[in-house]
Amino acid sequence: MHFEIDRETFLKPLQSIIGVVERRQTLPILSNILIVADSNSLSLTSTDLEVELQAHLSLPVEEPGQITVPARKLLDIVRNLPDESRLTVRVEQDRAIIQSGRSQFRLMTLPAGDFPSVEDIGDVEEIELSQANLRWLIDKTHFAMALQDVRYYLNGLLLELEPDHLRAVATDGHRLALAEFNAQIALEQPRQVIVPRKGIQEILRLLEHSDEPVRVELGNNHIRARLPHLRFTSKLIDGRFPDYQRVIPEADGNCVHIDRESLRQGLVRASILSNEKYRGVRVVLSGDSVTIRSENPEQEQAEEELSAEYGGDDLEIGFNAGYMLDAVGAIEQPSIEMFVTDANASALIRGEGESQVRYVVMPMRL
Amino acid sequence: MTAPNRTIMHVDMDAFFASVELLRRPELAGQPVVVGGRGDPNRRGVVSTATYEARQYGIHSAMPLRRALELCPHAVFLPVDLAAYRTASTEVFALLRELSEHIEPVGLDEAYLDVSHRPEPPRDLGAELKARIHSRTRLTGSVGLAPNRLLAKIASDLEKPDGLTELTLDDVPDRVWPLPVRTLHGVGPRTGERLADLGIETIGDLAATPVERLATAFPANHAQALSERAHGHDERPVAPRRQRKSIGRETTFQKDCRSSARLAWLAEEMLTGLVPRLTERGLRARTVTVKIRYRDFVTQTRSLSLNEASADPDTLAAAVQECLRQHTLHRAVRLLGVSLSQLTDTPEGPQQLSIIQ
Repeated sequence: MHFEIDRETFLKPLQSIIGVVERRQTLPILSNILIVADSNSLSLTSTDLEVELQAHLSLPVEEPGQITVPARKLLDIVRNLPDESRLTVRVEQDRAIIQSGRSQFRLMTLPAGDFPSVEDIGDVEEIELSQANLRWLIDKTHFAMALQDVRYYLNGLLLELEPDHLRAVATDGHRLALAEFNAQIALEQPRQVIVPRKGIQEILRLLEHSDEPVRVELGNNHIRARLPHLRFTSKLIDGRFPDYQRVIPEADGNCVHIDRESLRQGLVRASILSNEKYRGVRVVLSGDSVTIRSENPEQEQAEEELSAEYGGDDLEIGFNAGYMLDAVGAIEQPSIEMFVTDANASALIRGEGESQVRYVVMPMRL
Repeated sequence: MTAPNRTIMHVDMDAFFASVELLRRPELAGQPVVVGGRGDPNRRGVVSTATYEARQYGIHSAMPLRRALELCPHAVFLPVDLAAYRTASTEVFALLRELSEHIEPVGLDEAYLDVSHRPEPPRDLGAELKARIHSRTRLTGSVGLAPNRLLAKIASDLEKPDGLTELTLDDVPDRVWPLPVRTLHGVGPRTGERLADLGIETIGDLAATPVERLATAFPANHAQALSERAHGHDERPVAPRRQRKSIGRETTFQKDCRSSARLAWLAEEMLTGLVPRLTERGLRARTVTVKIRYRDFVTQTRSLSLNEASADPDTLAAAVQECLRQHTLHRAVRLLGVSLSQLTDTPEGPQQLSIIQ
């Protein structure tokens, strides 16, 4: 293998795929990336066995070949070379040699044939949408995914494809986020897939706020997204996502209308004096105000009174301020509406007049 | 035998969890109320406590909630709220400690006290304690007084609820011997069965059986102990119990088990039996362990630690199933064990409610 490349041309794809190379690896080859040089193109692949990222670039190659090299070391070398350097990469026996000007690096390699890349994901169904739309779906929901929950199907994002809808749902059992938009989706039948947390975090990094298309392929056990110069592949979580429709309350009953920014700031300030571990705050609804109170084990107290529009009975509900802030932070409308029942029932939070994005937060008993 | 001059008191609160619930839901008084699990009889969980009204339908603790619902479809089911019971328990125990420093709590609602040093007549002591508990908490308890723990426990049960009963060794033939042998501390279902095989149904039957005959069915020291207990003798001191490190169960299969579905079901059954032992002591567990011994005696354990200690049946069951999934299960299994450890009795912090189970 032998090719020449500009530092900047090499650096960008390396940075795009480095995310799935974990620092602690049980399999040594997972610390490496696979470099495949064809006559006029180069591909770079990384994997953690769950998520695979592959970058492509067109490039004249002097001598085709395949090899794997330590990912982070390669990235660090390329990053620290001077701007506008020109690099030569070649393999001699079992070493990869990176040369640039008067710098030379000899890296250990492992055989390309041992690299566990996923080429074929079986029969697939395909849909196409804009990067911005997919990014929006994930952006509005991903923070509600569970983290290392024993209910493994919660450690991911549910993507639901219906003939005229695309929907994303995440829940950690305590709160839930749902975003959806209308789209003509050419699928034979509706599909539900759960994309693992790690895959969602990676694809979110790769998607841009642009109208450029992303092609999504759904296999039986994998999801694959094709972006310009990048291919993302993730295993799917094999499990049944809970029946989320059942737990989303109707938008009726007692409703609070409140300015988003003042609610956000009130929550941020009140949570300073909440119990750091639980972040519980009391939200008191009464007449034309919302009062947020907190108290920590040292018995320091905070109180924030916010003006709001509320027609219901006086009510006090405990919430995890973090869950509320996640929801409030993701809402774009300047005003928020929150539907509440009592101190034991979930609250529905959404932007004023919004129907595509909904947040459900369960109270906390303080 | 030591001099029979000890006075042991056994205090057992009446339908404790249910009574605490009734205090804050007085409108439920007189109705059959069942406290257990998450308070939903269609979900996993067993009865922690039932009111006396519910017990009339045959509902008793440790019974699956579903079964309780069958027995009494109009019963009111409430979720276990340990924080509330702990608060009430703390008040009761404060009163008990005023009576004696020699106190051995058994869970949140039961305790043995050695009151030998008190000058008052035992019966007065018991009556006053009951009055004070009631005026402080509006809850009732039953008190048994006797020269030892064994009889004190039997005594507290004789006139339940709101009972006050004193038993002496002289009362044993008349009041203790007619009771079923299972009433005796240490006679569980297995021992009970084996005694029944010997034709022993009541404590009196047991007392009348020579130790030699018992020794044909039990190890010698066990036979001896059974016989002594049947005569009302018990010298165990009242001592604060060591903190439990774990609660667990194991079972060895008569025939090796090859079905992972059956293992999953059995593990869940075992857990269902363990959870009440956790809640009645006011404990929560952080670590769940599933132990498997294969046919070739290779033994493996898989554990899972939760983010936070829990006594919630669903959370623990999910952890048990996850542990089971982590076992390779490639050979026939001869033993299955489920245990809960890293037990804690510190009160739960704020409780985040769940959207989904």
